[in-house]
Parts: sequence; structure tokens; C-alpha cells
Amino acid sequence: MRKSIHTWRVYLLLVLCSLLGVSMGGTLVYAEDSASSYNYSFWGDTVAAPSAYEATELLDGNKLGVGPFKEPNDLHVTEEQMIYVADSGNNRIVVLDSSLKPVTVVDSFERDGQKETFNNPQGLFVTDQKQLIVADTGNKRVVKLDQNYKLLSIIEAPKSDLLAGNFDFQPVRVIADKAQRIYVMSTGVFDGFMEFSQEGEFTSFIGANKVKVDPTELLWKKLSTKAQRSQMIMFTPTEFTNLDIDGEGFIYATNGDKWGDSIKKLNAQGNDILRRTGYFNPQGDVRYIGAQGPSRLVDIDVADSEMYSVLDSVRGRIFTYNGDGHLMYVFGGIGNQMGQFKTAAAIERMGDRFLVLDKAFGEMTVFDTTQYGRTLNEAVRSYYKGDEEKAFELYNEAVNMNANLEFAYSGIGKSLLRKGDYKGAMQYFEESYDRANYSKSFLLYRKQVLREHFAAIMTVIIVLAAVTLVGRRVRKRRKGGVAIES
Amino acid sequence: MNRELIKYPLYLIVHPFNGYWDLKYEQSKRNNLILSFAILFLLIITNILSNQYSGFLVNLVYPGSINSVMEVLYVVVPVLFWCIANWSLTTLMDGEGKFTEIFTSTCFALLPMILINLPWIWLSNVISLQETSFYTFSSNVAVFWSLYLLFVGNMTVHQYTPSKTIATILLSVVAMGFIAFICLLFFSLVQQMLSFVNVIYQEIVLRK
Repeated sequence: MRKSIHTWRVYLLLVLCSLLGVSMGGTLVYAEDSASSYNYSFWGDTVAAPSAYEATELLDGNKLGVGPFKEPNDLHVTEEQMIYVADSGNNRIVVLDSSLKPVTVVDSFERDGQKETFNNPQGLFVTDQKQLIVADTGNKRVVKLDQNYKLLSIIEAPKSDLLAGNFDFQPVRVIADKAQRIYVMSTGVFDGFMEFSQEGEFTSFIGANKVKVDPTELLWKKLSTKAQRSQMIMFTPTEFTNLDIDGEGFIYATNGDKWGDSIKKLNAQGNDILRRTGYFNPQGDVRYIGAQGPSRLVDIDVADSEMYSVLDSVRGRIFTYNGDGHLMYVFGGIGNQMGQFKTAAAIERMGDRFLVLDKAFGEMTVFDTTQYGRTLNEAVRSYYKGDEEKAFELYNEAVNMNANLEFAYSGIGKSLLRKGDYKGAMQYFEESYDRANYSKSFLLYRKQVLREHFAAIMTVIIVLAAVTLVGRRVRKRRKGGVAIES
Repeated sequence: MNRELIKYPLYLIVHPFNGYWDLKYEQSKRNNLILSFAILFLLIITNILSNQYSGFLVNLVYPGSINSVMEVLYVVVPVLFWCIANWSLTTLMDGEGKFTEIFTSTCFALLPMILINLPWIWLSNVISLQETSFYTFSSNVAVFWSLYLLFVGNMTVHQYTPSKTIATILLSVVAMGFIAFICLLFFSLVQQMLSFVNVIYQEIVLRK
């Protein structure tokens, strides 16, 4: 009896020890990578993902020594990593260097010997020649300054047959392409962006959004009288909310469309050529609370290798997509903690870092990559450059850190496909639900298998055919024999 | 005998008029029932296997939604509803079919869905995206073949004219909708009643 109790105790101790071991192992794994971000699976489920970016620094005007920002609206980072902030409420442009130290403050310029100031400048852009273009919204003009902030030219409200007589020029965002053409986004313009030539002449509108008609609205309109109809809201295309330009001169634009394509990549003709081959069209959040509604994208920033990021003002999140339209990572949010915003107004990429401007707090948050974010960025870059070998490695690394990252499997599959490992590629494509590429690698695999086993397959077919032929003949002869015998 | 048992349904699906005539007047009722249940069972198995093992290109199913019990219901419930609705209507519309005849004729009509879809479970694994149109084509063929058999079966079993058969089939579909509605109503009412009883029980138990 006593002995049995003793053995029981031993067993109990063993069980307890093993339980302890299990729980310790569990916490160890958990501590290593705590998921704090999310991504969308092929099925539209929100799946946990490690965070790709983390807030490292919070800058405001006081900290920088230039006085507090007041409702800053836009920011721009040049290739030399100089940062330009449009501090709209203070009617000035603040310039910072790459180490986030203030260089200068531009609040006025000389015009015909007279000093002129900005009035609520909402947008700015810096060209390759370091020319500063400011959308001086309050003064209804676009100001172009050279690298020493001396006036080059001013674009006033244009006059053209394309414009209505009572046209109100309210430039809010500007960009310029390599050919020095300036594209202006003006409030209340539904026809797209206004394109100005090098000389500052208005040439045309580009990239108008399509009119979306609500069927019920249309029915009411059909049923109502002319007088009633004139009281109703007109069907107008949605306005753009922001724009950016990439190295090849394509304009990336966001608009306030709730159901349509809210991100566009416009070519010189104004056609949308954005690739939407991801699991969902790039649009910010796919799942959301009905009361909050879909993402409202207010800023877009194009990086190298066709990556682009958009800013959702509803939930303060930044979504980054690769050129194929796959969601890479999400970060940010609304709140009072570091890395969260009240009214996020603008984003800009500074190398691999992110700057996010909060209009309400007058602050700028700096985000740095985590190991995961770096790997993912580099993986997309290597694949874009055509460095299959490196992309394969990096995608594998990324998948090891986040097994839910479905599009990365497709990246691995593509490199395997190039290498000639068709079967492996098939598995990875299936993992990422990439049917087109699966089919492609399957066809190659099938051909390969059939070629390898051609001799065996043909032998089997011929033997089978021969056997059936002989068998049939034998059976016939037997039957015939029976008939003769009887 | 056993060989006949297997051969007969195969004969029926290619010669539906003769086959269904035999089903009504010649074949033993017991064998018909055995065959019908076997066909139903095989159809369920086919559907389950197809969900699980069909090629990736034609079978994009959310893994969390695969449920074999539901697959059983997806086959049994429509067949049952159809038979009940058809029987209820045809008894009023001078149909000559008995319930067993309706049931067996319906089950026999489902045979093409097994014969065509079962080999495609394997075949769909060795086709490319361009070739999936063959897959969709043959599954459509299976459906239309089954519908045709259902039509002929109904016509033969009840000894109707073609136009009357079509009318009854359409009405049966409507009746199926009614049955589904009444079932839902019944279940939700029972649920309400049960929860009512439950609440009263809790009130009494928790009262001090």
C-alpha cells in the first residue's frame, strides 16, 4: 500500500515537471515574436503578423526648436533625405536634414523687390533640382522657388476654355515630373489633376475619376420632375485626395471613392494602370466595422521597386503594397500612444524609414523597420531587381517569421520555377493560392514527367492494347469453336 | 442476379424510358430501394471526396468550411424535400406514382453525378488552368443529364404528358420552398418554446 502511494507520487512529480517544461517552452516561443500587426489571408480573414515597423521617435516643433507646428498638412523627402514640412497654420515651410535637425524655415520670398508670404500652404513638392514648389492655397497660387528659396515663378489661377467662368483655383497638393511639368490637385475639381507646362501654362486635366451611379438614386431621379431633379445632388466623379509621382513619371493617386478603386496609377494619358493581382484590390482595410466604413485614403507615397504606401485617415493606419498589389504590412493606428495618431495627414518614406505627420497634434512620428520589415522590403526589392536567388532566401526568412504571409510563398514558388524545381514551385503556389502560376508550373512539371517516363508509358499502352486485341481474338475463336462443335 | 443489379441502373441512365418503365412495373421494389440508398450513399461519398481531393485549380474551398456531415445533409435533405413535395402534389394531380417509386426514380436520376464526377476527382489533379473548362463542361453535363433523367423518371412514374411533368416539376420546386420555410418556422418556434421553458425554470430555481 505504502509502496503504491510512493510510485504515485513519483508519477505525479513527473507529470508536474513535464507540465512545467511545456509551459516554460511555450512562454519562450511566445516572447520571441509577439504578433502586433495583421494581414489579410486569401479568404479575407484577419491573421496575425509581426509588426514590420515600430515608432522610434516623436518630433514636434518645440523639440526641433522651430516653434510648435500648427496644422501641418504635407511633407516631402528628397533623394538626399532632406525633409520639407508644410506647416500650414504657421504659413511656413520647415526644412530638416537627414538627421532630423532643422536647417531652415521658409516663410517668405521676394517678388519684384517686395516681400511676400504664404497663406495656408497645404502642399509642397521638391524637384530633382531642389526646386521647391508650394501649393499656396490661401493665396490661390502655386509658388516655385529655387534651391536658395528665391522665387522662380508663380502660377496664378489659369484661364482656359476648359475651365468654367467661375472657376476657383485652390491648389492643395502639387507634384512635378522630370520634364518640369507641374500637376496640381485643386479642391472642388472633379475633372482630375490640372497639368501645367514648364512655362506655367495650364494644358489639360488628367486622370478624371469615373462617375459612380447609385441605382436607387438613379431610379429616384428618373421618377422625379425636372424641378425636383435640379434640387438633387448631381452625379459627380469623386475628388482625388492626394498624389505622388514615381521615378518613371507615373502618378500614383488616392481618391475618396468608397466602393471603387481608391488607389490609381496614372500613365501619361491618364489611364489607370495599377496592377491589382493581390488577393484583394489595394484599398486599405478589407474588413471593417460598418459604422466606421471603409478606409479613407488621404496620402500615398511611392517607394522604389514599385512599393507604395497609403494612409487611411479613418483608422490612422499605413498600408504598404508591392507592385503586384499584395498587402505587405500594416502599422499605425488611432490613439494616444507612441506610433498612433489623432489625425494622420501625410506619410513619406525616408529610405526605409517612415515619417507620419499628425495634423491635430502637430507632431511627426518616425517609424523604423523591424527585422521582419527589413526582410520583407529587401525580399520585394530583390525580386523586383530579378535577383531570384536572394529573393528566395529572403522570402524564406520572411515566411519563417510569419507563416501566414501567403504572398511570400508565391515569391518562393516563382524562384523555384525559374530554377526548374517545378514540383516544389507547385507546392508553394498552392500555399499562396496562386492558380495562374500553379498551372504554369504544373504544365512544365507534367511535360517533364511525361518526357522522363515516355518509354515506360508507351510500353504499358502498347502492351495493354496488344493484350486486349489478342484477348478479343482468343475469345472470338473460342466462341466460334463452340459454335462449330454444337 | 448481382450482376443484373449493377447493370440495371447503368442501363437505365442511357435508356431512361425503358429503364423507368421497368423500374415501375418489372423490377422488385426491394432491389430498387437497395440500389437507391446505395446511389445516395455513393453520391455523398463522391461529394465529400471531391471537396477533399479535387485538384487545387478547380477546388478552392475554405478548409474551415469542409464538413462531411453537412455534405450528407446537402444530398439527403434536397432529395427528401423533392420527394415529399412531388408526392404531395402528384397525389392531388392524378399521378400514378407511389412514394417509393418517386424516391427510387429520383435516386436513379442522380447516378450520372456519381459516374461523371467520381473520375474527375482524380482527373482534376492532372489538368492545367486552361483545361479546367473540360471539368466545368463535364460537371454541367452531369447536372443536365440528371435533370433529364429526373424529368423522364417523373413522367414515367406518374404516367404524365411532358407538359404536365414540367408543370409538376416547377410546382414541386415551389412546394420545396414552402416546406423549407415551414421547417425553419417550426424549428425556430420550438427553439423559442424551449428557451421560454428554460427561462421559467431558471426563474424558479434562482428564486429564493
